[in-house]
Amino acid sequence: MRQGDSDGVLVLRVLEGDTEAFAGLVARHRERGGRFAAAMLGDAADAEEALQDAFVRAYRSLRTCREPERFGAWFLRILVNRCRTRGAVRRRSAAVFVQDDVALERAAAPPVAEPEWREEIARAVAQLDVMQREAFLLKHVEGLEYEEMTRLTGARIPALKMRVKRACDHLKVLLREVDDARVRS
Amino acid sequence: MHGSAPDPLIARVADALRRPAPLTPDFDARVMAAVRRAPPALPRRAWAWLREPRVVAVSPLGGLAMAAGLAGLLLVGAMGRQPSAVSKQPSAVSKQPSAVSRQPSAISRQPSAVSEGAASVTFVFVAPQARSVALAGDFNDWDAARALMRREASGVWTVGVPLTPGRYRYVFVVDGRRFVADPAAPRAVGDDFGTPTSVVTIGGGGTHAAGGSL
Repeated sequence: MRQGDSDGVLVLRVLEGDTEAFAGLVARHRERGGRFAAAMLGDAADAEEALQDAFVRAYRSLRTCREPERFGAWFLRILVNRCRTRGAVRRRSAAVFVQDDVALERAAAPPVAEPEWREEIARAVAQLDVMQREAFLLKHVEGLEYEEMTRLTGARIPALKMRVKRACDHLKVLLREVDDARVRS
Repeated sequence: MHGSAPDPLIARVADALRRPAPLTPDFDARVMAAVRRAPPALPRRAWAWLREPRVVAVSPLGGLAMAAGLAGLLLVGAMGRQPSAVSKQPSAVSKQPSAVSRQPSAISRQPSAVSEGAASVTFVFVAPQARSVALAGDFNDWDAARALMRREASGVWTVGVPLTPGRYRYVFVVDGRRFVADPAAPRAVGDDFGTPTSVVTIGGGGTHAAGGSL
């Protein structure tokens, strides 16, 4: 891969038959995709499988990417759908979430070290409604505008704003005490 | 990036979630191995060519020539067909893939014991983005619900229809509302459906496709 190739150039090279050029797209978008999938699914192995599946699907349908320079946004849409599918399958098979009182008990024990803080966040995010979680991650972690989120999720802007607000409210309830302890420490 | 500054706690949560999630070291290699096993992404020019609607203008002489050529191709696939032998050796037929059916959109005929004098004609249509494709024509009273096509790999849709010798007009119905003539078959001229339709002619000793005014 030539380091300076833009997403658009890489997409066109793949479409011209240079399969190996797809490795450049993988290298460029795996990090963002990996963190989104991990936060959505709450399991590293599941996240990695969803991410790999999304890349393969993107490759197979690459000709439908109408704006090659915006491959990242297009790919994120595929990944969101893969996470939804995989998440739905997991919810049908087994739903294992930490009880609220466990999180609150841990939150009452300062100081909170960085790894524990991240673990608390993962637990709290896992307790969000899946649609709220998705909207929160796209808005606050990936920094998307609501218009982009609408294109990506199919939901309307007022619904997305409500999901984000409820997710934030829920996270604040779950994490306020542990965050206070962490900040004090 | 955001319309208004988020709550400080939410900002700290988002910061933590932005940190990279660890992937296994061979992740890229596994993805590329899976990509190499996947059907190749069609070159853009080939894809554009496949999707490009085109009008097939066929003169009477050209129509005869095309019919003869297509019939020749299809006869290769159906060679050796004898009505009495077909029902005895159905497996031999299925082992002979039709060269024609691999075309972007094409018709192939395979012998079958569907009914006396009828052969199963396979209609093929390439539409990777379609959610559904059906076939409507003279042979099913233009009722697309009676010939829903099955999606194969890479967006190729197929359906087999038993047809007795004769000439039939047909059209593909994409997503239940868009009527698309077969780009690989002659068009029916002067159609009375308000949309272009295609023509296939099934002969007694082989398969024919012909264009021209009905």
